[in-house]
Amino acid sequence: MAAPQRPIERIAWRALSAADAACNRLYGWRGNPLYQSGTIVVALLVVLFVTGIWLLLFYRIGSPYESVARLTDMPIAGNWVRGLHRYATDATLVATLIHLLRMFAQGRSWGPRTLAWVSGVALLALIFICGWTGYVMVWDEFGQSLAREGARMLDTLPVLSEPVSRIFTGERPVSSAFFFVNLFAHVALPLGLAVGLWIHVSRIARTNLLPPRPLMWTVIGVLFAVSVVRPIGMEPAASAFRLPESVTSDLFYAFWLPASRAVPGSVALGAGLLAFAALAFVPRLTRRLADRPAPSSVNEEICVGCRQCAADCPYEAIEMIPRVSVRSDEVARVDPMKCVSCGICAGSCAPMGVGPTGRTGRDQLGAVRAFIAEPARRHGELVVVGCDRTAPELSRVVRDAGAVFYPVDCAGSLHTSVIELLVRSGSGGVMVLACPPRDCWNREGPRWLSERVYQDREAELQARVDRRRVRITHADSRDARGTDAAIAAFSADLARLDAATPDATLDIDAICEPIELEAKP
Amino acid sequence: MSSLTRAGGAAVTAATAAVIVAGSHVRMPEFVSPDAMVRVSWSARPERIEQCVRVSAEELERTPVHMRREMVCEGTTARYRLEVDRNGVLVDSVTVRGGGLRRDREVYVYREIFVPAAQTRIAVRFLRVDSSATADGPDSNVQQTRDSSGALAVRAVREQEERARRIAEAIPPVLTLDTVVTLASRAVILVTYDPLVRRLIVKTGTP
Repeated sequence: MAAPQRPIERIAWRALSAADAACNRLYGWRGNPLYQSGTIVVALLVVLFVTGIWLLLFYRIGSPYESVARLTDMPIAGNWVRGLHRYATDATLVATLIHLLRMFAQGRSWGPRTLAWVSGVALLALIFICGWTGYVMVWDEFGQSLAREGARMLDTLPVLSEPVSRIFTGERPVSSAFFFVNLFAHVALPLGLAVGLWIHVSRIARTNLLPPRPLMWTVIGVLFAVSVVRPIGMEPAASAFRLPESVTSDLFYAFWLPASRAVPGSVALGAGLLAFAALAFVPRLTRRLADRPAPSSVNEEICVGCRQCAADCPYEAIEMIPRVSVRSDEVARVDPMKCVSCGICAGSCAPMGVGPTGRTGRDQLGAVRAFIAEPARRHGELVVVGCDRTAPELSRVVRDAGAVFYPVDCAGSLHTSVIELLVRSGSGGVMVLACPPRDCWNREGPRWLSERVYQDREAELQARVDRRRVRITHADSRDARGTDAAIAAFSADLARLDAATPDATLDIDAICEPIELEAKP
Repeated sequence: MSSLTRAGGAAVTAATAAVIVAGSHVRMPEFVSPDAMVRVSWSARPERIEQCVRVSAEELERTPVHMRREMVCEGTTARYRLEVDRNGVLVDSVTVRGGGLRRDREVYVYREIFVPAAQTRIAVRFLRVDSSATADGPDSNVQQTRDSSGALAVRAVREQEERARRIAEAIPPVLTLDTVVTLASRAVILVTYDPLVRRLIVKTGTP
């Protein structure tokens, strides 16, 4: 079983799953932006990079406000691009926070995922500082406000002999050197973002950095439309000799300003650092100790060295190493430091020699044999196989629809032999209720499952199994209506088939036995 | 997907965009109080307080030629007291000294004082606390180099000139400003040191 959620994760998950369900109803799971929050961030960063390069051509560090004002006066080439840059900045932060909440709620913040979490928090900080420096570039009242507050915090550090705040006192005009340093930071930080992003996804196989094109262009199109409908204006220019009563601010990047101004700079700086440190510390708080699921292991007496588990592992936690015995040239080895115990490898191993303890293909077969042997089982009934995530919400829906719910750890780790046993033992049909592919907690589970059932991916569903009696359906944990409709549709299709009967040739206890290893001569 | 669902999706998308736009343009309070601000800010070289010791002939002999100095001076920079009065009442006072870990950098004055917006008499005093007279030992300013000749003499003269230049560049031991200003609401006046005229001046931001 996967590690249970902690109470705070459960609360976050309830909120998120409700939002997921609503978005699935409105956009379908393929277009659900909440599932793609991480890739949307990357797409928006690309937008920011491209529009930023364009805006840079017009920016002058010698007269920052005037150059931005000139840019603003040009609607198409200037202000619309500036608007897209600005709104993409905000959307980036929003999408990043959704992504962070998602990872937290799904318990994907600790253990082997600590690197991704901590680097993600660092990326969030970089995005934040990048936005900060971007607003300072304009040098209007808001930019000055951010700059003064940042300087006030920096002045509390004991390493600077001259207060940074003196830059803005009005003794002399703010120097071009300041705007050059600010511009340099604004341009250089995205390079840090690129490095951080590389680290962030370094433990993921087959990284998808961009969302599906329809979703990506929709997001960009909406932001561009907004920049046309609600163009960015110019606030009054910064002045050292005027204290504005109020300033039009970007709440996403300046929500903290009123609170920060009310306390000494050291407290404000400390609170900011503490907030990010607390976020980076989440893996320590959320890690499982006693209830941590065991990583996958390989039974070398069963492993045939086919490489499928290494190919399927979403986290590159399995590698093939030379074998010392004569059975095959290679044997799989799991790196427990990278293994998140998702169990995907259990479904990919035809001889069932790899998987987390208690969740290997053999363990799954043992469980399904017990299920088939239950006296309550009837021939011809529809069995719905659902994962742990959907079980609490949808098992009742399945039962109300007259089907039998068979819970498994994860649809992606489901071995096709389980489906085969269910069908050949006389079930009318087997419907696998998998999470939407873009929301698989184990990344590629539904994809591999589908390919194993329909496209002969190892460990494929054997040809002797009647495919008409097998269906894969995707539903989020709250999609009762969709689940009910899918069951009804499948039941109707099954009704057109002959009555299901147990396969007389089925040897329910048959299984590949381990072969004793012989050392190479 | 029904047209109703599509419309709902479009509405939610529009609402999300509206939230982003609204969040991007929020009028946030900055300086709610109608008070004005007196900003006191400048940087200047502080006076150095040094103790100079004349090096004996024997020590000079032991020192490599290129490192020989007749007078070795060590010390620090003077402290200064900044006081700001408003209508005769002390509203801010602080002791400042040279920046840097060894306190040998310029002295940086930076204070921001909120005062009610009205015609106000502002008095600023910047007084040297330490002076060469308060330091132990002989004052470097009055030290005379002994008669020398050759390279050592040239170097001694140069060092003395350098010390004299530093003294001349240092901020005066006493700076005062006493002026009446009319402060508008949320206006800032800047009291700063003008090194050219070597006195405190007021800047208001208006040409």
